[in-house]
Amino acid sequence: MNVSPRSGGEYLMLAAVTFYVLVICVVPLGRLFFETLFLGQGDIFSLVASLLESRTVLRAIGNTLEAGLGSALLSLTMGTTMALIIGLTDIRHKTLLVFMLLVPMLIPAQITAVSWLELAGPSSPVLAPLGYALPQGMRNPLYSREGVILLLGIEHAAMVFLAVRAGLRAIPGDLVEAARCAGASPMRIIISVILPLLHPSLIAGAALAFTASIGNFGIPALLGIPGRYLVLSTLIYQRLSSFGPAVLKDVGGLSIILALMAAAGLLVQYLAGRRSRVELVHGGKPAPPFNLGRYRLVVEAVVWLILLFISVLPLLALIETALLPALGVEFALSTITLDNFFFIFEHDASRRAFVNSTLLGLAAAGIVISVSFPFAYLVVIRKNRVAAVLNIVADAPFALPGIVLSIACIIAFIRPLPMIHYSLYNTIWIILVAYMARFLAFGLHPVLAGMAQFDRSLEEAGQVSGATSFQRLQRIIIPLVAPSAMSGGILVFMGAFNELTVSSLLWSSGNETLGVMIYNLYDEGNSTGAAAIAVLTVAVTFALAWATTYMAGSRSRGILPWQQ
Amino acid sequence: MRFLIIIIILMTFCNTISASGADLVLYTSQPQKQMVKVVELFNKKYPDIKVEVYRDGTTKVLNKLQAELAADSPRPDVLMIADFVAMNSLKKQGVLQPYVNAPVAGYDSVQYDAEKYFFGTKLITTGIIYNTKSGVPRPASWKDLLKPEAKNQVIMPSPLYSGAAVIHVGTLTEQPGFGWEYYEKLADNGAVAGKGNGSVREAVARGEKAYGIIIDYMAIGARKKGSPVDFVFPVEGVTSINQPIAILKTAKNVKVARSFVDFLLSREAQEQSVRQSYIPLLRGVNPPADYGDLSNLRVMSADPDVIEKKTEENKHKFAEMFGGA
Repeated sequence: MNVSPRSGGEYLMLAAVTFYVLVICVVPLGRLFFETLFLGQGDIFSLVASLLESRTVLRAIGNTLEAGLGSALLSLTMGTTMALIIGLTDIRHKTLLVFMLLVPMLIPAQITAVSWLELAGPSSPVLAPLGYALPQGMRNPLYSREGVILLLGIEHAAMVFLAVRAGLRAIPGDLVEAARCAGASPMRIIISVILPLLHPSLIAGAALAFTASIGNFGIPALLGIPGRYLVLSTLIYQRLSSFGPAVLKDVGGLSIILALMAAAGLLVQYLAGRRSRVELVHGGKPAPPFNLGRYRLVVEAVVWLILLFISVLPLLALIETALLPALGVEFALSTITLDNFFFIFEHDASRRAFVNSTLLGLAAAGIVISVSFPFAYLVVIRKNRVAAVLNIVADAPFALPGIVLSIACIIAFIRPLPMIHYSLYNTIWIILVAYMARFLAFGLHPVLAGMAQFDRSLEEAGQVSGATSFQRLQRIIIPLVAPSAMSGGILVFMGAFNELTVSSLLWSSGNETLGVMIYNLYDEGNSTGAAAIAVLTVAVTFALAWATTYMAGSRSRGILPWQQ
Repeated sequence: MRFLIIIIILMTFCNTISASGADLVLYTSQPQKQMVKVVELFNKKYPDIKVEVYRDGTTKVLNKLQAELAADSPRPDVLMIADFVAMNSLKKQGVLQPYVNAPVAGYDSVQYDAEKYFFGTKLITTGIIYNTKSGVPRPASWKDLLKPEAKNQVIMPSPLYSGAAVIHVGTLTEQPGFGWEYYEKLADNGAVAGKGNGSVREAVARGEKAYGIIIDYMAIGARKKGSPVDFVFPVEGVTSINQPIAILKTAKNVKVARSFVDFLLSREAQEQSVRQSYIPLLRGVNPPADYGDLSNLRVMSADPDVIEKKTEENKHKFAEMFGGA
């Protein structure tokens, strides 16, 4: 394919995109690595040696690996089983099942943690009236290693499900048909035909779940800190919040260890993904679903029961807790009160958190989408090599653990900016900058996908008629990819609105986010207040997900993960 | 594009009115839910003063303040924490400024610093909370927490988080018949440390633990709102703190800072703290009715200098026995 010669407008776009990626993504992460490893007293080896000398650090590294691998295994089992059942059998209500399966992905980790804690304890507002709650005097069993692994596994099962479902769709139906004609039983077909072909998707899905788990903060913070089960992300948080910027170099070292672990996971995912593309390049028609026959009802019952536990009951417990007058009061219609919701509106910091998170989400979405148009245009339509490299780099801030990004942002922005002599640290702007890096991939990928479907002859027609590259982008391309950009923007907003990991280290008083508010209130012992904020946050998230699905219709297929 | 500019302008606007626009920055350990009401009442008297509150456990607040001092940019103007011992060492460190004309009439002179560097705002005692639904016997003495029925059922706040816990541990370990031996026995009986007093209230109200060591108003407030808990002043006596307030030397606007101190020592503020289930310090303001008769209340005490000297050591010993916060 030949691409027409570059124009001045294109260079200008390239300069803008390069500036964005360099300043927001490359410089902070680069400085984290460079300054931690090469500047200051001592060399790399003595820093690593001094870190590894500490028993707490070693234990946190061990726990991080253990929680990551354990939860990845759990996610793999759950996600694969569900993908096989939903993808291969004649089970009913698939769309609803998929949506429910993806609910944990829509709900941020800190809210998952809070709602499970409410569900599982001895005073569970859901289980206690039924007589199934734990006996009095039992500590909530989720405050433990097992609790952390269980919730991380549930939180990321949806990722494996999506990866395996994509793999399943790529398996040619002919293969399954052939095995069927040869007289193989469905079980046999799954074990000897489908699973071997799915192998790369399984590995990629599990690697993705591992990377997400070791980067998670909300679950190990709310469950693991009281349970004395520290992982790297919570250790970094504790050290920095107790000792302040004085320990920046130490936590920088810890962040690099965590980043390397995540990089290993990403490498595995990449290699597996490459293999699957080679093997399964011929799609073809999917095979007809297996008939479950008389077992269908049993399978359906089991699937619904599992989904009830992972998607419905925790949220129900959360809502009921938000309506309690005080902890330990049994949930009953006569005791329901809206006091906790009133508290949020009276409480300055909570109100501020709503405003801050909404504005941060809107600003991040607007900025990310604005830069995504020229970015994707350069990558997809102009086939610009520099932009292609930047595209890979732009994934790093999301792929790496959020806590690593926030340490990087502190290192990069704690000192006043050159020229304007204004420090972003302890302002809301440092959170916005971090979100602009963190959620760039959320907005960019849908726009890239939208442009890939775009017919290039339209652009050429514009060029022949003498339109400049800016005019072509503005008049031809943007209107055509607007629906995918809209979905991308909403994903960015939802990500930023629900965010905790990055803001947990970057917030300051006056600049709270919703995630931070939920965490702080829970930490202070006001869990009914925390539950009320969480309920409102979830309501906004669901309303948005519903509105996007409704608005986007079939055009956003393949962009919104919860659509079949 | 226009949309983006509007958002950025809106953010700048909200940011200036919320954060940097505050006239008074207060670092405190008092729960956010109460501070909302305190600031509300303060603003009735001083409507033009915008107060910004940062809240965490006393020990955490002090860590944050020390980190800011090290960086030469302390943010708070006023500090109100649980622990008078820590206040005293901040005074020695030269971080605070005196307020000689503070309205201390009506206050017992033991409740404020002799050189007027800090002032107690309310009496907070530490006693025992228990879950009334759990079927355990009502405790009467600190030693009841060592009995078999309290095995694995006791939770307490950690001095690594709470200032009241610093004083409680510091005082109790100096009492004859207690000492660190008492804490060793607690550990042997399976007692655990939570974070702050809030975490103790949670665990006991939820029924995860039957007994807890806790500051009074948290337990009495929870009982008032319907949680299945009750509070006991143990027979040996309680330990106490007085939630002192102080103005930092670096306060941006001393007049504004002083008005906040004036307010907290005023009759209205003292009456409000009664509504929030605190025991007031101002003479003539009655303690909350649900405390019962306080005339026989025994308060254990220890030499503040000894507590101060041993604070770090005590935190380490505690962390070794019950884990770090």
